[in-house]
Amino acid sequence: MAQSAGDRRRINGPEESFSPVFDDDEEDIKLKTQRSRAAGDIRPIFLQPGLISQANGSAYIETDKTKIACAVYGPRQTKTTTYSEKGRLNVEVKFTPFSCMRRRAPIRDAEDRSLAVSIHQAIVSSIRLELFPKSTIDVFITIIENDGIEGCIASASVAASTALADAGIEMLGLVSACSAAIVGDDIHLDPSEAEARASSGTVILACMPALDNVTSVWQSGHMTADMALKCMERCHERCIDIHSIVAQSLLEHRTAA
Amino acid sequence: MVSDTTLLPGQPVFLPRGPTPNLGGGLYLRDGQVRASLVGVAQYDGPTLTISRIRSHPPATNSVVLGTVTRLSPLQAMVSISVVDGVPLPAGEEFNGVIRTQDVRATEKDKVKIGDCFRGGDVVKGIVISLGDARSYYITTARNDLGVIFATSEAGASMEPVSWQEMRCPKTGRIEKRKCAKPENM
Repeated sequence: MAQSAGDRRRINGPEESFSPVFDDDEEDIKLKTQRSRAAGDIRPIFLQPGLISQANGSAYIETDKTKIACAVYGPRQTKTTTYSEKGRLNVEVKFTPFSCMRRRAPIRDAEDRSLAVSIHQAIVSSIRLELFPKSTIDVFITIIENDGIEGCIASASVAASTALADAGIEMLGLVSACSAAIVGDDIHLDPSEAEARASSGTVILACMPALDNVTSVWQSGHMTADMALKCMERCHERCIDIHSIVAQSLLEHRTAA
Repeated sequence: MVSDTTLLPGQPVFLPRGPTPNLGGGLYLRDGQVRASLVGVAQYDGPTLTISRIRSHPPATNSVVLGTVTRLSPLQAMVSISVVDGVPLPAGEEFNGVIRTQDVRATEKDKVKIGDCFRGGDVVKGIVISLGDARSYYITTARNDLGVIFATSEAGASMEPVSWQEMRCPKTGRIEKRKCAKPENM
């Protein structure tokens, strides 16, 4: 006989339960992927630094249905026994169980780590790590609601850069990031989850507009080199707008503090 | 004078024509253009242009640090650094430092007995001499104004310094040996 899993004293429900999956009608899919905004418009951004008082620096970013909180701790002493002349950056991403359409178990898995790697690559070249020998800067990112992984990576990079500036960590410049998806022949900026799934490929670009250089590019899916370059150009233009939003929120926070 | 605008990281600093001034913390030079690397106002601190940071930062060479003695060994005293350059570090984020016997005092360095200079729980003021190794910074107390600032006697009362070698317990009157720092108002 199989062991009775769980608690013997109670009547247990099924261990795993899923809500019923309905066949989506063709029209429903089309409705979902129809944008209410133009192809070149990004979703409006709300960015607020300094919400987590316990951390050295923090930022909360909200774009329509994507909500991300970022906390920065450090520079603190590296616990390992290897001596490093430059500081280290450690990025950890966590999804809340209610962030996605399907409930996620609160254990860290491969998707969390791949997001952390993307965000790490986007911001690491903007920090002056040579000023913090033997120290580690910890960036913790919590995704409260997720509407598209590409949008998450872009928004989280912006939030992380704002939080680092709020924490008083020396940086070469502020990082802003934008994502794009190719739907048919059009380039749609800042795709939502439904759009990204309906697209044939996506590009995420992170750059420092103050210094006019790019920190990271992630491309996934199927597209010609030409289209990829066009996506990167559009993203780059949008990043300059995002950078002014970041600058404005940091200045407002500073005058309010 | 530099203007009063709050600068953001990456923002170029507007300077009057002439040679670039000495750059302190919070600013960097790239492609001949001075840019800010912190959020703040650029001010002249003597001849150096800097953006001041009031946040806590890790110890650097020549930082004045305050720490608590955690362990003693015949060759060194291990210290948990909690204040760097007057700014306290957040709780739980202390750095580790070490005071080697040759750095305890300036005279008779080879005849130092660690037990007569420090005891566990003493609050010590020192200066960082180097980044040390992976686990700890190297600290020195070999100056008149460096050493034990605050210590508790065996009876439990906080002791007063009598000379640079001795401290006195006000409850029992007993003298205990420490390497004391000279108080500032003397």
